[in-house]
Amino acid sequence: AALAQINKEPVIDAKVLDVLLKEICHALLEADVNVRLVGNLRNNVKNAVKIQDLAAGINKRKVIQKAVLDELCRLVEPGVETFKPKKGAKNIIMFVGLQGSGKTTTCTKLAYHYQRKGWKVCLVCADTFRAGAFDQLKQNATKAKIPYYGSYTETDPVQIAHEGVEKFKKEGFEIIIVDTSGRHKQEAELFEEMIQISTNPDNTIFVMDATIGQAAEAQSRAFHEATKIGSIIITKMDGHAKGGGAISAVAATHSPIIFIGTGEHIHDLERFEPRRFVQKMLGMGDISGLMET
Amino acid sequence: MFSFFKNITGQKAITEEDLAQVLANMKEHLIKKNVAADISTHLCESVAKNLVGQKTGSFKTIRSTVKQAMEASLKRILTPKTSVDLLRDIGQSQAESRPYTICFVGVNGVGKSTNLSKTCFWLLQNGFKVLIAACDTFRSGAVEQLRVHVRNLNALGQNSVVELYERGYGKDAAGIAKDAINYGKSNKFDVVLIDTAGRMQDNEPLMRALSKLVSVNKPDKIIFVGEALVGNEAVDQLTKFNQALKDFSGLQNPRHIDGIILTKFDTIDDKVGAALSMAYTTGQPILFVGTGQTYTDLKNMRVSHIVQSLLKE
Ligand SMILES: Nc1nc2c(ncn2[C@@H]2O[C@H](COP(=O)(O)OP(=O)(O)OP(=O)(O)O)[C@@H](O)[C@H]2O)c(=O)[nH]1
Ligand SMILES: Nc1nc2c(ncn2[C@@H]2O[C@H](COP(=O)(O)OP(=O)(O)OP(=O)(O)O)[C@@H](O)[C@H]2O)c(=O)[nH]1
Ligand SMILES: [Mg+2]
Ligand SMILES: [Mg+2]
Repeated sequence: AALAQINKEPVIDAKVLDVLLKEICHALLEADVNVRLVGNLRNNVKNAVKIQDLAAGINKRKVIQKAVLDELCRLVEPGVETFKPKKGAKNIIMFVGLQGSGKTTTCTKLAYHYQRKGWKVCLVCADTFRAGAFDQLKQNATKAKIPYYGSYTETDPVQIAHEGVEKFKKEGFEIIIVDTSGRHKQEAELFEEMIQISTNPDNTIFVMDATIGQAAEAQSRAFHEATKIGSIIITKMDGHAKGGGAISAVAATHSPIIFIGTGEHIHDLERFEPRRFVQKMLGMGDISGLMET
Repeated sequence: MFSFFKNITGQKAITEEDLAQVLANMKEHLIKKNVAADISTHLCESVAKNLVGQKTGSFKTIRSTVKQAMEASLKRILTPKTSVDLLRDIGQSQAESRPYTICFVGVNGVGKSTNLSKTCFWLLQNGFKVLIAACDTFRSGAVEQLRVHVRNLNALGQNSVVELYERGYGKDAAGIAKDAINYGKSNKFDVVLIDTAGRMQDNEPLMRALSKLVSVNKPDKIIFVGEALVGNEAVDQLTKFNQALKDFSGLQNPRHIDGIILTKFDTIDDKVGAALSMAYTTGQPILFVGTGQTYTDLKNMRVSHIVQSLLKE
């Protein structure tokens, strides 16, 4: 509502700008955006606008609105090229992330997405840690009719990843998606394992839960330092969560958000739309007009 | 030296202006620790209300006065208001020759099944006979996940008795829970642990189904499993789970969440704010914190530890 309010103010001065910024910042903090990023946004907008310097006649409202939206879009879009699988090549995509963020579910969603577009896709379960992990992937893959590889007896995920990828490469698969166990930066061994599983993937996808709060930044940074992240998927966007915490991953990894998860079913995967995302984050539907200008 | 003297207020009565900046900083500090934004605001406002007009002791800074007041307030929120002694309660129902039933609920992927299994380990160590009811009949691998845990838990203890009650996928969870409890009763189990599917708090059909499971089976305890990683959503999740238990129950005296397990506590460093958000929102005790992925990673929460982490610069 804050950004709409600006249209009702008769005079736009530094004080109005301050109130406006305060409201926007509160909305962002409520959406779990990192405190430091919110602080930066506030300063950047202030610098960009410089009320007293604006010559009379210039539409101050427009200038402010544009500055806010530019900053928000900068938060969610790093402006780098998104990974695209290459036809005729063997594209290996590895999934990593915190425990329970939605990796296994999203792996199958993504495989299904590519399969429908005509790619030859398969799944490798390199999670030997979580109870029932292979059954989970197997049941999902079976439902989606996607070939999979995994083992009930082999306990070394590095070994399985290697075997699975080699097998599918030989069989001419174009996209090989590797699921891994959940892990976190505080357990060095888990990170070491991730580095070993990661045998030159063409893309490493970091899966983040939309409900994550202020711990997101440190975790994202640690994941990126251990294994170069190329893309981000934010899951559980079908709920009430705005996903503002997860965008810390964009700043920490300089990687784009490519999809959002919007449910537990296989087709619940949508392309990331910065505009809609920012709107939801601000808790309003009233900036659509602004973004077109 | 200068900054030291700058803040000295001596015997002067505290005014709102004195507090404004200190409280603004405190609020931001709490949000950085992952306390929900609105709760941070409320807390700071109520601290301000109590402090305005009070005299600060000589040589005491506003900052330390605020910190002290905040510390007391945090401690009060985090200290359980009801006594929690699951073992004693289970002993009681043993005397009544009926199994004690605990239902684990929460949103997707927070650690319900894993921490149910840790709770099971703890109960087995205390000599109880436990039945696990696989009432997540939706998520792929949910039943197998519990089967692995039951196998592990049986292998761990010499005399442990833990069994899985499952009816596969796609079935009505409330009915399975009912059958499991009856089975538990006939076979002299002390405790029945009911695993449920994860669900988003706004998903009405799924929330109705959960409420039905609860009103049909009347578990002794409803434990909400929430992860320490969660930010502002902690408030919404708990509010809406409670609301759904109330609105969809059709009962005169509807149930609510009786306690919380705060999971993934090992993943957040000192950003422990979710503990506060959850305790503040429900007024219910945090029964355990999950501190890892093995069976022994289930601990009692130390209020002083949380308060210290929250206030630490
Ligand atoms: N509502 C909703 N649920 C989701 C979404 N994505 C995943 N989930 C659910 O979140 C839970 C965890 O998902 P998993 O795919 O098992 O997560 P994971 O990251 O593989 O978990 P670990 O392997 O244990 O680290 C499951 O209940 C999924 O059904 C989503 O976009 N929306
Ligand atoms: N680091 C850490 N991981 C945990 C903890 N508790 C659970 N996990 C992990 O979190 C992931 C999800 O746990 P589950 O028990 O499957 O979660 P759930 O709530 O039952 O998930 P759904 O049934 O899919 O909604 C698993 O990888 C667990 O090992 C904890 O205290 N610390
Ligand atoms: Mg998984
Ligand atoms: Mg579960």
